[in-house]
Amino acid sequence: MSDNGSPAAPPAEAKPKPEADPNTLNIKIVSTNGDEVFFKIKKTTKLNKLKSAYADRVGTDVAAIRLLFDGQRILDDQTANDLDLEDGDSIEVLLEQVGGQ
Amino acid sequence: MSNLAQARLHEERKNWRKDHPFGFYAKPVKAADGTMNIMLWEVGIPGKTGTIWEGGLYKVMMTFPDEFPTKPPKCKFDPPLFHPNVYPSGTICLSILDEEKNWKPSITIKQIVLGVQDLLDNPNIGDPAQIDAYQMYKNDKNAYEKRVKQQAVERRQK
Repeated sequence: MSDNGSPAAPPAEAKPKPEADPNTLNIKIVSTNGDEVFFKIKKTTKLNKLKSAYADRVGTDVAAIRLLFDGQRILDDQTANDLDLEDGDSIEVLLEQVGGQ
Repeated sequence: MSNLAQARLHEERKNWRKDHPFGFYAKPVKAADGTMNIMLWEVGIPGKTGTIWEGGLYKVMMTFPDEFPTKPPKCKFDPPLFHPNVYPSGTICLSILDEEKNWKPSITIKQIVLGVQDLLDNPNIGDPAQIDAYQMYKNDKNAYEKRVKQQAVERRQK
């Protein structure tokens, strides 16, 4: 009995496009409803710029959102370098919230 | 140390970074000196919206044996969770995580975390792992739901 349980072989990893500038990263921002917006950022740019750019793009108030990477809130003055972000990483966006009792 | 296990886990991490279910996180633990232990992962599993688990982000530690992926990782809620299929130690009792049952080497970390999320609201009462949650679930569903909701508030993501 041949048990070929493995579903379709994993597709060959897409070859990374030739990097023009090793200091820029392509980052994906994903929201609760699954919408994805892509940004190109510099490793040394503070990520509050990314947050504002995203807010502009989707037409929301920058104060109303927060970014998360690996379950951790991204602070405004952190950079991609601080977080060890890599090309192709995905970041999540959540609505800013204040806990009540 | 098995190279196969490490290679697979690096691959899993790479794929996770690019794409993962919303609200979850899964990352190898970093030691104080910044070195990464690829065999031990910290995972966050959000309760499904519309269930009594909603609002909580439940932390799970995944320990991968050297024989991974022949053998499944050991998954443990940290702190332990009030749930019928979670041992008092926090260890999760789930068929897909059991070598003797439904574990397959092709199961990915993404599938495991989604499986655990699904288990939260779909306990298997036929195979309880802790007395407290099991009895309350069986005898007093209202109290059970109240307790679970309370837990969701306590584990709310900061």
